[in-house]
Amino acid sequence: MKHEGMVHALEEIKRILRREACLIDIHPVREAPIIEVRTTDEVLFAEPSASYDYDDDLQHAEDALVSAVERALFVLDGSHEFEFVTIASSVVELRDFFAVSGAYEEDPLDETTEARVQELYARVDEVMRAAGEKARVARRERARVARLNPVR
Amino acid sequence: MSIKLDPEGHEIAALFDLVDLDGKDVLEIGCGDGRLTWRYAERVGHVVAIEPFANAIDRARERIPEAAIDKVELRNVGFEEFASTSKPSTFDVAILSWSLC
Repeated sequence: MKHEGMVHALEEIKRILRREACLIDIHPVREAPIIEVRTTDEVLFAEPSASYDYDDDLQHAEDALVSAVERALFVLDGSHEFEFVTIASSVVELRDFFAVSGAYEEDPLDETTEARVQELYARVDEVMRAAGEKARVARRERARVARLNPVR
Repeated sequence: MSIKLDPEGHEIAALFDLVDLDGKDVLEIGCGDGRLTWRYAERVGHVVAIEPFANAIDRARERIPEAAIDKVELRNVGFEEFASTSKPSTFDVAILSWSLC
């Protein structure tokens, strides 16, 4: 969904909200998530995700929210950033989870990116095996939640 | 071990810090498998949670907590179609749940 489509969606959201209502938007911050291996006591591995490619869609989303405020559809009434962590006991478990999530993406990974992902996860798997059963692999990403109130 | 998503509850804490959902009529747009929905559903008056992908909404239906059954309406529909049949001034809160982008 591109910029004008997103703005139209925001117009429709405003229409179906009551007078004293609010819109809550949650979306990722524009930075690569971190893939991390850790035990209870220490972080053994941490690198940015090789598949990060949020730029276009996320930029459109942020632009649409700015447009909605500039057009006096909504006014921003607070926002927070937070860290969202996904934790798995193995690389396979983590990859399977994101394979299901990624199945909803419009643009699958290109070959080069897929190769980088495979290489990164191979290294993560090596660290996991060396660390033993207590190790966990995590994907850490930052997101922003914002409250927007409709302008009446 | 199954996947753990946001085990420290940062997302729901950030949400509750911005909005009081108690007794409210909520629309969640892009609910996926209900991951966020179940964390707040018991507080609301009613929530309509929409999701265009059938597989995700099927998983959500399998996982509805008992305490939330009477409060949650899950619908396999995209927002554009949903909005086209929605009356104005229906909801107290709309949540775009990682779905605008």
